[in-house]
Formats: sequence, structure tokens, C-alpha cells
Amino acid sequence: MRDTIELELSVNARAHALQIEPRTTLGEVLRERLSLTGTKISCDAQVCGACTVLVDDLAVSACTYLAADADGREVRTVEGLSTDGSLSPLQQSFIDHAGFQCGFCTPGMLMAATALLEEDPHPTREAVIHGLEGNLCRCTGYAQIVDAVLAAAASVPGPDR
Amino acid sequence: MIPRFSLTRPATLLDAFAAHADHDGDAAYLAGGTELLQVMKMGFAQFGTLIDLKGIDDLRGIDIAPDGRLRIGAATTHRAIERSPIVRQHLPSLAALAARVANVRVRNTGTLGGNLAFAEPHSDPATFLLACGATVELAGPNGRRELAIGEFVLGPLSTAREPDEVIVAIHVPPADPATGRAYDKIAFFERPAASVAVSLSVMDGRIRRAIVAVGSLTEAPTLVPGAGAALEGVDTSGDGLGVAHRSAVEAFSGLDIAADLNGSPEYKRHLAGVLLGRAVRGAVREASAHA
Amino acid sequence: MRRVTTRPAPPSPIGEPVPRRDGVAKVTGAGRFTVDLGMPGLAHAKLLRSPYPHARIRAIHADDARYHPGVIAVVTADDLPDVNLIYGHSVADHPLIATGKVRFAGEPVVGVVAEDPVTAEEALRLIVVDYEPLPFSTSAAASLAEDAAIIHDKPGEQRAHRGFEEDIERTHPNVCSHSRQAWGDIDDAFARADLVLEGEYRYPRSYAYAMEPYNAIARWGEGELTVWTSGQHPYMVREDLAHCFDLPLSAVRVIVPYVGGGYGSKSYTKIEPLTAALALRAGRPVRLALSIEESILTTRGDAATIRLRSAFDRDGHLLGRQATILLDTGGYAENSPLVGRKAANRLGGPYRIPALEVTCSTVYTNTAPASSFRGFGAPQVTLAGESQMDEAAERLGIDGLEIRRRNVLRPGERPWPGVRGIDADLPADLDLAAEELGWDTPLPPGRGRAICLSASDAGSEPMTTSVLRVHSDGSVTVTCGSTEIGQGSSTVLAQMAAGEIGVDLERVHLLQSDTAAVSYDRSTGASRTTTLMGLAIGAAARDARSQLVQWAQESLAPDGPTVIEAPGGVRIGDAFHDWGAVVRSWFGGSAGEVIGRGYIRRSGDTAEMPPFWEIGCVGVEVSVDESTGEIRVERLVTVGDVGCAINPQLVEGQDIGAAMMGLGMATREELVYEDGNLMNGNLFDYRVPRTTDLPELRTVIAERGDGVGLYGAKGGGEGSLNPVAAAIANAVYRAAGIRLREAPFTPERVWTALQQRDASTRD
Repeated sequence: MRDTIELELSVNARAHALQIEPRTTLGEVLRERLSLTGTKISCDAQVCGACTVLVDDLAVSACTYLAADADGREVRTVEGLSTDGSLSPLQQSFIDHAGFQCGFCTPGMLMAATALLEEDPHPTREAVIHGLEGNLCRCTGYAQIVDAVLAAAASVPGPDR
Repeated sequence: MIPRFSLTRPATLLDAFAAHADHDGDAAYLAGGTELLQVMKMGFAQFGTLIDLKGIDDLRGIDIAPDGRLRIGAATTHRAIERSPIVRQHLPSLAALAARVANVRVRNTGTLGGNLAFAEPHSDPATFLLACGATVELAGPNGRRELAIGEFVLGPLSTAREPDEVIVAIHVPPADPATGRAYDKIAFFERPAASVAVSLSVMDGRIRRAIVAVGSLTEAPTLVPGAGAALEGVDTSGDGLGVAHRSAVEAFSGLDIAADLNGSPEYKRHLAGVLLGRAVRGAVREASAHA
Repeated sequence: MRRVTTRPAPPSPIGEPVPRRDGVAKVTGAGRFTVDLGMPGLAHAKLLRSPYPHARIRAIHADDARYHPGVIAVVTADDLPDVNLIYGHSVADHPLIATGKVRFAGEPVVGVVAEDPVTAEEALRLIVVDYEPLPFSTSAAASLAEDAAIIHDKPGEQRAHRGFEEDIERTHPNVCSHSRQAWGDIDDAFARADLVLEGEYRYPRSYAYAMEPYNAIARWGEGELTVWTSGQHPYMVREDLAHCFDLPLSAVRVIVPYVGGGYGSKSYTKIEPLTAALALRAGRPVRLALSIEESILTTRGDAATIRLRSAFDRDGHLLGRQATILLDTGGYAENSPLVGRKAANRLGGPYRIPALEVTCSTVYTNTAPASSFRGFGAPQVTLAGESQMDEAAERLGIDGLEIRRRNVLRPGERPWPGVRGIDADLPADLDLAAEELGWDTPLPPGRGRAICLSASDAGSEPMTTSVLRVHSDGSVTVTCGSTEIGQGSSTVLAQMAAGEIGVDLERVHLLQSDTAAVSYDRSTGASRTTTLMGLAIGAAARDARSQLVQWAQESLAPDGPTVIEAPGGVRIGDAFHDWGAVVRSWFGGSAGEVIGRGYIRRSGDTAEMPPFWEIGCVGVEVSVDESTGEIRVERLVTVGDVGCAINPQLVEGQDIGAAMMGLGMATREELVYEDGNLMNGNLFDYRVPRTTDLPELRTVIAERGDGVGLYGAKGGGEGSLNPVAAAIANAVYRAAGIRLREAPFTPERVWTALQQRDASTRD
């Protein structure tokens, strides 16, 4: 009998209780146990950022983050960005600015940008560029992604803008 | 894929040691996992049991101890170091360094203790802490001990830590007010190609007691006493810095640098020289601001 | 983005930046890629790969793996006597799993199928393979040595109609293919020259890094095989699967959901036959999902060594070019013979060259197989050709822009006899690039600028079909075999269908890349989809409309008056009847549909080859950090000469993406082999561009209606990659006085060149 542990976590504000093998990554729990396949696995080495999800508001690489470490925590994924079927300003901005092509980096890029904007709702262009340095995209060349994030920030009222 | 293992989550160090003893030879301690889980995934290491240290209070917190030393709990993440008001006040270069480790996701989960325990030769913190004279506090079933970074890191992926010992904290001794510390690196890939840390003090416009450490070049972060000596006594206002820089760089010629994807030994030595110049200027600036 | 338009306006929504139709799916995580699919009973495969670059397999001991709990099947070549093991796109030389010998480190040797992927991986560790290591070579030059180990004992069978139709001359057993392109009197050209330049240029082994690794699911039914794959060419995969398993084409169904990046690396057949073989032995549907490390070992870009001589007269006119090209194709041919053919074709660039002689050999080495990759030989040869254009300009005292103006082909001029004339206005493109780059403005110190060009015979073979159905409510279903790989085909093809049939875009739906449900398309590559599938959809729309007009006459006005076609329907007298009404009327009820068919082949407008020329026109301004050797591209200008931008926002995205990929190749990307092993086969050590590499961008789209496609459209998406390395090399020369001939221009290579420059100035 293989070792299993209890896991209780909240994903996109919904509570889940699961039995998992300790080796299980958060990415595997999301994709295989909860059918939340929006989170993508690419480099599987914490380099590319495709698997970026938020755990208690912090961006982590779901490919290498043990699901056990999310026990008792709040996890947010791309599937939780839109509310009541309407896209978030960031999601809408990615569509408006064509901030994706193949779309494989997009969920991670959106979650990284979400964390960035939650910390700094009105970032400079430089701050967006540096904030997303750890998220790779091979299609767009990034320009339209940076534009999309800045436009989403600008669409939200802020101080002295 | 991460191979199968069992997980225990002790609440105290004693429980951690007991768990390690129970799984003799087949257990490893786990903190942020950014390094350990990666090597397990790649098949370079396999353990039947991982002992998660993140629940142990002794490994947490950042404070100034009564003896004036900065104490950073080993399970502190790079992000927590970057954000810590105490670190920002007492060792701002470490906060700046922490803000540039790998990427934001690694900084959010990776810990200082885990980074040092792994002893990856391109480690940012190890190189900087070496120049700061920091020590690593270890606890094991047989008691506690403190090792200087240079004694702790033995080589690539190799440290003086016994398998059952846990890194509890990192201690950085206080510096006199006229001290400046700086770290700079250059990276062409995910990890730095070269890095240089400098700790020096400036009195009456002249450099005193300079310590220079280089990282990523050799098998482990290395102190270069000759480089420090070349800087000592130099007037920071004139063009003496340039001359001193040249002789400091000459001290790098003794380093045993291996070629890798970043380039030849000659090129990487050159890069270290460029970084030394930047780090010295940064440290002098910080020291002068204090003075 | 700046649009320069001299073509007539097409019907809406053609030419408009409508939002991507895959947008909501991709920003909500709802869009499904192959790797996201599951099904009842799905088993999981992992592969044991060779640690040796070249070795004979003496024995495979796999019993411990077979009996490992949770293992369903362990499969070696010996377990597949009923399968045709050898496939290959242009040359059948590639066993779907190693047969007796391995030809590169990382070649699959054993497949394990288990209940879950971790168990499959555990079982791999229980397998022992007894290898007899053989001498190996990891460069084309080493493979051509007289005593080099022979990688393929006998030549692979050449496949017909795979775009490569020359006799393969094996001048050395390790030569995989040999291509020649020549015209004019080359000896005379060099005899007449005022200036002859000669140089050797190198382009690295590269990795496309499509972020979705190769993966597939295979499921067997009663005499039928269904495969879901991340591959971009479903119909070609179908053909190879039918061959491997002796099935009629109709018994093989290949389905391609969204693809997470391709860039050519997902062209043709990769892991699908092996996945199907594993499923056959397992008796279960099987998923084979590779890691990125394994994907790097599956396909890479061809490394090139190019020796180029160029002859010029004193006014900077090109008189001739002579080149020999060696491509390192790795352990198997894949599509490299065609890359070689194209490299030879593309070396001349967009210039009027009286005499040319190029030979290109692809050479087997004991490295991961090379195949199609965005640009397809053009980035490699453009580095050489465009470097010499700038060198000549400098030596002859001519401005870099001016020397190109003097040599570029004018619209309609044929680069060589028998091919389509240039369907672009290159002098105008050059002017646009110069304007955006600020060619005539003073350069800050330490900066350099350059503009470079390329022209590629693109579009592949016109073998494309489409079916367009107009339903009884007037809405439209379009089915086609072109794949959505991120380029936006699902959007632009729907735009063209909507414009051509005359209905709102919201009422057009597209079904792509399911060989049992959509009609044939040869491939999604060579920048062909907008042009060729666009034409097929246009033809299908015309076919549907002409049937509908006839139906309207028959059912709505059998006794006259004559039915007049109008956008979206017909007019009979004063009354307008939309297409849905015509369908309903003809069937005499509330339902029915019309089926329009579009066939595109080598005929009519698409008779001449290539279907179109793909233009690259890129300008850069660079700075060089002389202390570290790091190059930074400060400003990047792309001119997308696409005839008609069906969706300008998507064209711009292709141009920026391609140019940034070119920037990566030019400055950092290179797969490095040492002692037969890949040293940087992971994302830690293979660095692709990041946000911080982003230059200031200026994008121009030139729309002159000069392509063969609908409204004068032609392909884009590769062009803006091809000249980037050359442009950076030339700009670095202007900035720092060093001539870089070996890409990538790594910091150390630049620093070394700077050291040599300083040493020679001191002498």
C-alpha cells in the first residue's frame, strides 16, 4: 500500500479534500485530480513560468511545488480569474492586445501578471518587464503582453493617474 | 517526475532528528524544495522519506540578536529576506541580492537555508555571506555548532553538514558604521556566470579592511585575500581606485576556473574583474553614506 | 503599427483587427491542448533513451520492468514484428524505436506503458541495456572524415512527393542529401569582379522551444486507429501511421486540438507511430507525453557551415555568388534534405545575381535529428549573404542601404529562371525600414544600425481543400485541415469565409485538423495557410454561392426574373433573400444546407512555384557593452510585406514574435555537444529571449495586394526572423568594428573579437 496523505485546500475559492501521494505536485493535483487543465507544464524546472499559480497570493511554480505544501492554503489558477462568466480586465486586455498566440504560456503569464498587479496596481513599463522576466513566451516576443498588462492596469482607477 | 517518497512534518528539531534516525540513510530534509525536488525529478537523488522542516519554529524569523548579529532563520524565503525591514536596514545588499535570485516563483518558495545546504557553486547568497563573515548554525542529535561559510561549503554540492544535521539559522556579524557591502553578478543563463561580493570600510576617504569573494567561477565561493589587500588603503576619491582595481583583478589569476557554457576561464576571470569594479563602487558608496 | 496600403479594400471583416477567436478559450484556461485530454482507460508511456551517441544494442534485459506492479507493457523493436518500423519524412531511415543500433544520445530504445507515469518511470530504472559503443561524430565536418564511423549502413529509401525530389548522391556514406542551385556563368562573374569577398559563416544547432512538449494519445478500435497529437500536420501524420500499421488512410484518424507552439518543430511525424505501437501492445489507449528535455532530443534546427564567395563590380552590383553549405542533420534525415534544398535556393536572397552556384549537403551526425524550423534554411544562409552585402558596401564606400537598392529584384523579376517573379516591392520596403529606423539620423557612440533582407520560396506545395457549408439559418461551417498553432489561423480563415460568403463573423464557425471530419490540407507550414487555405475557402465560398444562386432561381423565381447575387444572399426584384432563406426554399422546408468545395492545386494562379515569395525586411540598432561583450538590440524594425493583412494585429504579432526568436538565435541560442552528449538540453542552460530583451519596436505592414492569395494576400510569420542575425552582425560591426561570422554572438565571442580588434590596433 502506497503512502498517502490528506490534503485540504481551497482552489479558486472552492474547498477540496483529497488523498494524495506525498510526491504529488500542485500541478498534478490541479490538472489530474481537479481537471483544472488551464495550468500548463512546460519546462518542469521552475524556469518558464507556464505553471504559475498563486498560493496565498504568492506566485509559485506548480510543477515543483508539493501539493502537500498547499495544505490549508488558498490556491488561485487561471480558471478563477473570471467571475460569473465575465473576463477580468487583465484577461480582456490580453485578448484586446493579442497578448498570446499559441496560448500555452498564457495561464502562467496571466497569474504572474495578476500577482504583479496585486502588489503594484499601477506599475511602470520597466516594472512589468522586470516582473515578468521569469515567464517565457516563445510566440509573441512579449511586446503585446507588456502592453496588455499596462493597459489592464490603466483601466483600473488609481491614485494620481 | 518526482519519484515516490514518504513525507513527515515534524514540529520540533528533536522530532526531525528522530524521523531522520528512523529512516537511516534514506531520508533527507526538505524546506522550500526548489533545489531538492528538482534533482529528485532529474533522477540525481532519491530518498524514501523527506522530512519537511518548514513547520519548525526554530528555523523561522529574522532578528537582531543581543550580541548584535543579524539572525536569519534557515527556513526564511528569499522573498521574506527581500521584504524584511530588518534586513533592509542592517544588510541592504542582502535584500537587494534576494530580490535578484532566480525568478519570483523561486524566491517565493526557496529558502536561504536550503540554498546554502545545496551548495550549488553559482549560489548568490553563499558568495555574499562569505564576504560578510557570516556563519551557519547547525543543529543535530549531538548538539549545535556554528561554521563560517568557508568551512561550511566544501565544494560543488558538498557541505560540512552531517546528513542528520539541520541548518537552523544564518548569522551575520555586525559591521562598523563605515562598512559597505555589495554584490553583483552577471548571468547569461538561469544561473550566474560570475559573481563578486565585496565588504569594505572607508575611513577618512580611504578603504580599510576589504574582503572580496567570488562566486560561480570556482567549485565553491572563494575568498580572494589578494584582491582585498590590493584595495586596502586606497583613496576612494581619486583615480587610485582604478589602479587598485587592476591589481585586485590580478589576484583573480590564482583562481582555478573551469570552462563551461558561460565561457572560457579567461573570459570568466575578466567578467569577475568587471563585477569587482562595480561591487567596489557600490560598497564604497554604501560605506560613504554611513560615514 | 504602421500600415501602408495601396490595395483595394476587401469586404469586411477581411483586413480588420478582429479579436482572436481562440481568445476566451486561451485566457480562461478552457482551451484544450492534446496534453489536457483524458479518456477512460488511458495508460501512460515513458521511454528509456540511449546514453550513447552511437552504439550497437547487444541485449535488452527488461523482465524486472515487465513484472513491476502497475506495468502494462514493455516494448522494444523486437516486440513489434507486425509493424513497419521505419518511417521518415523525406528519407525513410528512422525506426520508431531503436532497431539494433542507436545513432544519437537520447534515442528511444524501450517504451514502458503503465497505469500511471510515475510507475512507468520507476520501471525504466529496472531495465538494463547492453550496448557496444561505436565511434561517433557530432559535427558535419567530423562525419565527412575519411575514417568517420558510418552512421547509416545503407541509404534510407527516398520518399516520393515529400517536396524533395532529387537524386541523393552519397559522395560519402554519411551524406544524407545533396542539393545544387546554379545559373549563369560563375567563372566569368568572378573573372570580371572588382571585389571578391570570401568568408565562412556558422549558424548553430537550435531548439524551437515550443512550450507544449511533444505529446500524443493513441487509441485502437476495430481495425481503426485514432491519434490525438500536438503535431501541426495531421494529414502527413495520417499517411505515416497508415504506412507503419498497414492501414487504409480512411482507417486512421488524426486529431489536433490547440497546439502549444510549433515554429516548424511540430511539422511531420514525430512520436505518433511509437505512441500507436505502444497502444497496440498495451491493448489500451496510451498517452506518450515527452518532457522538454526529451523534446529537445526529438527535433532541433539544422546547424550550418557556409563558405560564401561574392563577386561585385565597383558600383556594388552583385555579379555572382558561389557557396558550399554543410548542414548537420543529426542521426536521422527527418526533413533536413528539404531544408538543404531551401538553403541552396535562398542563398541568393532577394537580389539580381547574374551567376550563382550553390551546393548544399546535409550530413548525418550522432546528434539529435534536425528538421524543419521557422525560416527553413533562410536564417542560416542570410547571415552569410547579408554579411557580405555590408562588407562590400564598406569596402566600396557605398551606403548599406544604397547597395541593397542597387541589387534588389524589382516587382515581377524572377530570381532564377522558371520560378515565379518577385511578388513584392523590395525597394519600397527598404525605404520604410530606413524611415522607421532613422537611418539618416546621427548614431550615438557605441551604437550601430543595419537593415537586412531575405526572400524565401515559400508556401510549399499547393495541395489544399476546404468544405464550406451554409446552413438553413444562413450560418456557416468551414472545415479545413489547417492547424491552429498560435498563428491565428482560426481567426483569419473565419474572417475570409465571412467576407467571401457575406455573413457576419459571429455566424461563421471553423472546424480544423481532424482527418475524419475535415478535408485534406498538405501541411500547416511554410507560411502557407492564409494564402493557400484562404484560396481554398474562397473557392469553396464561390462554389456555395453559385449553387445558391442557382437554387434561388429554381425555387424562388422559376419563371424569372433573373436572380441577382448580393452580399449574403440574392436579390429578386426588390426582395432580398439571405442564403438561409434560399436553402430553406430549395429544400422546401425548414432545414437543409449547401456544400461548397474548394480545391487548390498546381493550376491557374497557383501553377507557378513557389506560390509566393516570403520577404524578410528587418532593421536593428544595437549597442555593445565592451566590458562584457553583451549585445543589446535597442531598436527593432520589421516590415511585413504581406500583400494584404487579413488581420493586421495578428500579422504584427507574427512579425514581432519571429524577430524576437531571431534575436535569440543570433545572440544566445545554441545546443552544445561535448563528448557525444548534449550539454544544455534543458531550459536552465538553453536561454530563449525574455521580456528584458525587448527592444523598442517599430512595426510596418506593407499591403500592396501583390500576393497570389485572396485580395493579394501572401504569407508571413517566418520572414521577420530570417535577416535578424545578419542585421545584428552588421550593426555590431558599425558599433564596434568587429565582424561576427559565427552565431550565436555570445558575450564571450563578442568580447574575444573586441580583444582581437584592440590587439590589431595596437600592432
